[in-house]
Amino acid sequence: MKKTIKGSIILALILLITGCTKDEWMNPVPITSVYDQFAFDTKARIEEQVNGIYSSLKSGQHLGGRFQIYNDVRCDNFLPRSSNLVTNFATWNHTVISSTNEVQNLWGAIYSTVNTVNLFLEGIEAAWSGGKLDGVITQAEYDQYRAEALAVRAICYFDLVQMYSKPYHMGNGANRGVPLRLTANKTREGNDMAPSTVAQVYDQILNDLNDAEPFAKADFSNTSLNITRVHRNTIIAYKTRVYLHMHDWDAVVTESAKIVPDAAPFTAKSGVAHALNASYMATFASPNVTKESIFSLPHTSSSNPGTQNFLAHYYQKGSSESYYLVTGPGSLYATMDATDVRKTSMETASSKVYIMKYTDRSTRTDWSPVIRWAEVLLNRSEALVRAGNAVTQEAVDLLNAVRTRSFATGAYTLASFATIDDFINAILLERNMEFLGEGIRNMDLMRTGLAIPSKSSPDFGTVGAILPTAQSYFWPVPDSELSYNKLMTP
Amino acid sequence: MKKIFLLFSLLLMTGFLVIGQTSLVTGKVTSSEDGTELPGVFVTVKGTTLGTITGPDGKFSLQVPSAGRTLVFSFVGYVTQEQAISGRNVIDVVLQQDLFNVDEVVVVAYGTAQKRDVAGAISTVSGGDIAKMNLQSFDQALAGKAAGVSITLPNGVLNNPPVIRIRGFNSITSSSNPLVVVDGVPVFTGNIGGTAIQNSLADINPSDIQSMEILKDASATALYGSRAANGVILITTKRGSGVKTKVTYDGFAGWTEPYRLFDLMNAEQYLAHKNLAYANAGSSVVLQQVNGPDGKPVDTNWADYVYQKGFQHSHAITVSGSSPSTSYFLSVGYTDQDGMVKKNFYNRKNARMNMDHKVTKFLSIGASVAYTNGYTESPNTGSSFATAGAARLAFVLPPIIGPYLPDGSYNLAGGTIAGMGTGLAAGGLGYHNPAQIMATNKHTTDSDRLLATLSASLEPFKGFVLKTVYGMDNLARETTTFWHPIGGDGYSYGGYAYNWTGKDKRWTWTNTANYNLTVADRLNLGLLAGLENQRTVSRSWNATKTGVSDPLFETFAGPWTTAYGVPGGGYGENFYSSYFGRITANWDKKYYLEGSLRRDGYSGLSKDNKWGNFGGVSFMWNVANEGFIANSGLNDIFSDMRLKLSYGRVGNMFGISNYGSLFLYSFSLYGDLPTLYFSQAGNADLKWETSDKYDVGLSFGLLNDRLQADLNYFYNDVNNLILNVPQSPSKGIPGNSIPANVGSMFNKGFEFSLTSYNITRPNFNWTTNFNFTALKNEVTELAPGVEEIRTSTADLETTNITMVGLPVGNILAVETRGVDPATGFRIFVNAAGQEVLYNHAATNKWTYRSDGNVAPAISTATDAVAWASPLPKYYGGLDNNLEFRGFDVALNMTYAFGFYVYAGSKAGIRDQRWWNNSVEVYETAWKKPGDITNIPKPIINDNISNGSAFPITENVEKGDYLKIRNLSAGYTFKNILPGVMNIERIRIYGQVFNAFVFTKYSGSDPEVSTNTDSNLAPGIDRNTAPQARTYTFGVNVSF
Repeated sequence: MKKTIKGSIILALILLITGCTKDEWMNPVPITSVYDQFAFDTKARIEEQVNGIYSSLKSGQHLGGRFQIYNDVRCDNFLPRSSNLVTNFATWNHTVISSTNEVQNLWGAIYSTVNTVNLFLEGIEAAWSGGKLDGVITQAEYDQYRAEALAVRAICYFDLVQMYSKPYHMGNGANRGVPLRLTANKTREGNDMAPSTVAQVYDQILNDLNDAEPFAKADFSNTSLNITRVHRNTIIAYKTRVYLHMHDWDAVVTESAKIVPDAAPFTAKSGVAHALNASYMATFASPNVTKESIFSLPHTSSSNPGTQNFLAHYYQKGSSESYYLVTGPGSLYATMDATDVRKTSMETASSKVYIMKYTDRSTRTDWSPVIRWAEVLLNRSEALVRAGNAVTQEAVDLLNAVRTRSFATGAYTLASFATIDDFINAILLERNMEFLGEGIRNMDLMRTGLAIPSKSSPDFGTVGAILPTAQSYFWPVPDSELSYNKLMTP
Repeated sequence: MKKIFLLFSLLLMTGFLVIGQTSLVTGKVTSSEDGTELPGVFVTVKGTTLGTITGPDGKFSLQVPSAGRTLVFSFVGYVTQEQAISGRNVIDVVLQQDLFNVDEVVVVAYGTAQKRDVAGAISTVSGGDIAKMNLQSFDQALAGKAAGVSITLPNGVLNNPPVIRIRGFNSITSSSNPLVVVDGVPVFTGNIGGTAIQNSLADINPSDIQSMEILKDASATALYGSRAANGVILITTKRGSGVKTKVTYDGFAGWTEPYRLFDLMNAEQYLAHKNLAYANAGSSVVLQQVNGPDGKPVDTNWADYVYQKGFQHSHAITVSGSSPSTSYFLSVGYTDQDGMVKKNFYNRKNARMNMDHKVTKFLSIGASVAYTNGYTESPNTGSSFATAGAARLAFVLPPIIGPYLPDGSYNLAGGTIAGMGTGLAAGGLGYHNPAQIMATNKHTTDSDRLLATLSASLEPFKGFVLKTVYGMDNLARETTTFWHPIGGDGYSYGGYAYNWTGKDKRWTWTNTANYNLTVADRLNLGLLAGLENQRTVSRSWNATKTGVSDPLFETFAGPWTTAYGVPGGGYGENFYSSYFGRITANWDKKYYLEGSLRRDGYSGLSKDNKWGNFGGVSFMWNVANEGFIANSGLNDIFSDMRLKLSYGRVGNMFGISNYGSLFLYSFSLYGDLPTLYFSQAGNADLKWETSDKYDVGLSFGLLNDRLQADLNYFYNDVNNLILNVPQSPSKGIPGNSIPANVGSMFNKGFEFSLTSYNITRPNFNWTTNFNFTALKNEVTELAPGVEEIRTSTADLETTNITMVGLPVGNILAVETRGVDPATGFRIFVNAAGQEVLYNHAATNKWTYRSDGNVAPAISTATDAVAWASPLPKYYGGLDNNLEFRGFDVALNMTYAFGFYVYAGSKAGIRDQRWWNNSVEVYETAWKKPGDITNIPKPIINDNISNGSAFPITENVEKGDYLKIRNLSAGYTFKNILPGVMNIERIRIYGQVFNAFVFTKYSGSDPEVSTNTDSNLAPGIDRNTAPQARTYTFGVNVSF
């Protein structure tokens, strides 16, 4: 029995040492991420979540780079150096289908931001109404954060319908839009949701922008934040773009009147004092912080859109996957005056012409423009003419403000335009020159119902024009959405 | 806890013995071979724990209680013998050599057992069999060695971790790799490198391995509970034995090279072909021949700039021995290998010390310490689509351009290889210049691994053993990248350096109590109870610098201008806590019953799901030991005959991340500002995947065990499979999926293995091992609402589909039916079954073959079908070993049948962009109406017709193969210079690994796997590096 006792003692000792499971080992708390229930505990975390919404918006798949790039390269100004499908060759030659990466990735990136916004809104609203935020943030801060989130959601839905649906003016928005996700998703429930109509999506965009406008900050009193976060003028500026697409010219005039003064110098009359820079290229020069930018997404070497997503990869002359300008007879380049800064700022390499707005290929720090003051002026100019059905001096002045900055001797007068169409054509041409590489061209073609013109590459052949009636005029709904959302329609 | 105490108390109470009157028995044990005395033979009284060991003269003396009836004599390498005492006082015994390994002892979960007492499905592979193949890691050498075990080498890059599947794919999204346990301690597995791939299992020098046991059914694996679903590989390293100090040296040298590379067009053929393709497209472009630096027309074979004959050599020295109380095994090894790809290099330095010491009669301690330094350099061999991928560059680049310009500098424009005035893109083709990236870029992995165990066992009384084992697996590693600014990936950064450093630490503490006893002379009982805790912590950090000030410096520590990005880091931890027990019982070695239970807790699961119970039972009937066989004379034919049945439930937790149940927000940046974003939609209901495994087996030996065979039928019902349930992308869930236990599948099959000792003469031995496995896998359930899972290769090409009713990971492709003889266009078949032609030169590219009307474009999304399964239906191996006098010859073959491979690289070598094509394209492409061919009319820039844009069935091929995996021949000299050098034996040999492949597959090798370990996308050969053939010559010396 002695042996038994000896054995038992040793056994008991071993059990004692190893038997008691360490509780903290069995229930580890992550030290590199935050549990969801703690995400609204401090002002810093809430502010970080607001930044997180913007950070999602600036994904390289969306407004960090590719969205602007898609809207340029699918049009008529650029030719690719490479046939790499990763660098948007299929977008360029209009062969994207529902399974193409561009189509899937943009959709996914935008909806990811939408859900980030919805999670934030539900989270902060619950914490606020539950009194958890008393003493953490003020009412004004609460309103302001919500306003920023709503504005981002509006931008997301605008970009979605713009790429994946017929333009608003076709059938007055009666066509198939996209699913309107307005509540947060974090579980496996709720895969199915029917798409709303284009008009319904526009209604939601305007609702969000209108809800946000009064509560958004008038001025962050910080030149950088005034560009990288949404303030009241950002929302108004963006509304001029939305109404322009809806052909609601009066609304464009009304909205733009809130910030654009009646006469030159056209410096914003309320909120952040946006104005044109004296130099065209100053807007794109590092550190990208000027009064002309209304909303741009900031990139640093630590926070950038990633390989094959950033703007400089597509437009800088050194990149073997870049896009260069069409320069033949009849091209935009050929049309531009030799003294126009927008042309003289371009560079030629191996007899190919490149825009020089984005140049940092090594650290990818060029900011991505979303909307700038020049667009607001041109939106107003166009809307004034279309709304009043007459070319006015104010409209011409607005156009000239943008035009003569770069093309000093190019000023128009009322007499330059025999018809309204002449003026509209002039303004579309101006926008084409002004916003090269900023993702505006495709929007302008689609909102005005124009065909996407044909183009011809010495390396990759001719790509025919895409008529507004063509299926490929807008992008198809991605496969994955059709597969897992049973209520979605192509 | 209470229950366990109870169990122990029960166990202990049966532990006392009644010892009454005794009588002395003496005797001598000799060998049947030459009559020499055998020292060290165990002599025990059957049914008791009394025993002794024979002395140097083979003699023994033992006090036998009056109740003792039989003595048992056992010795390694000899057949155990029983002698009835029958009142004798002197018993001399002649032991028969165990020529047929009848008495082999095998390692089982937490212990050892006699092979014939084990009911579970276990395959044993000897360490010697593995070491002699001269591979970097033991797992590579397991191919064809054991029934039910499939080993696939993804490609010929040095030290690539093979894909190991035991009885098939047992998961969909979790790992299907087995648990690997070294000397009782679960170790880290898989690739531990970055671009420079390094197999963590190569840290165990194959020449240190004594044996490997592969546990396959639930009865064998049940004690590993939640990690046992994919099978378990137990590695036992060598220990010291023998009175004499034994010294061995094993060395080899040789070379390795790729085989079956594509036969590609030369410059002349390329120009003719591409200019025809331009003309066919109505283009006036004409490519030109230019001269290279040597003034001659450029005609580059790009494979010359990617592949090489890689030299290798390796050395291992071991010293082992024992005294009555202490045994030791020491080894050091040095391996230095160049791969078949240039700049692919592996170096290993390792040392091991295994030691066992008997402190007192009842206390033993043991330790093993193994340290390994592994260093790997490798270029980006880039399976799939990387434009830096060396394997792809070897066949994609045109022969009419070269790596150097006439002035001797690299042919580069904008960082990529350029047209050199041939008419190809002067501004760069977008692909890297292999000569430049091989010369200037560098990827390394450097690892330090310490594997150590400390154990103590206490035997307070005979048969009762308490054992504690503390093991640690500490892995520190650094992976680095240097990209030169002159071209390639480093160009846009102005040079790029990345360092990643990580430490993985794991300890495992196992405590067991084991009690073996015999009751009533016939009932043999074994009881085991144990506790095990295991904690793993992983830490890492990384940083990037760009803009090298002086490209002379190739390291992160060198001079750089820019800190690129915020340095990253990672942390993870997990913890297992387990209780387990096993009861084995047999009645007179006829009827065997075994039951195992394990309760596992795992930290990664939510509070309510942390704990799970696993277990297995088995029954075995040893028919041969029945009187009616033994007495009927049938045992002259059937020397062994055992029927086995087992069932068990085990788990797979490899798919559950450290914090998988939690909803998490992660940190990032918005410009300079910190952010917090929703990063993980967790699932608190997540739990283990479970496998219900059924096994029916029959083992038999014929003709006095000259033929030994095992037959097994198995059925593995896998449930609660964790699937990343796809979510509508519009929900915006991170990753568009949420993991949940929703899927089911099964594997069923049949295994047969046969060992035949064809000839066993003193000077002539011939042994044959054959094994065969038939396997059927079928997915029976996916997530609700999910009919299929499509999987892509490198996110760019959707190549596989998993559907209910089919095996996992089918190849997904659009059906094609050759080339229309009239027009030369590829015939595609759309979802409606209509034939559609594709003409790249036309405005309306897709037209119906029947009426020429415009057809909708074909796409994977709408028209691809689940075409064929890449999982072999039948596979196995055949080994023949011959020894004749001093000569030895070994032939190891492996085979697999009934499966398909997506020959994706073929889409590349037939692509009609500027890419180079195979000679087959040059010779057999459609040229005029009426031509019957598989290769359509070449039209420049046509990337659709040959399957580049999406997979087509034209490029899906049968993979059936028979491979001479290893062929070796050697000669052994014995007892050289006796008294001077005392060299016991020297063996010199030569051998070829991957000697030959018999297959109709058009790529390098049907075994390659672009997606390496993926369950969902197997069987894809997309721009993958070929396999390597290795020739080595070596010497084994023992003193």
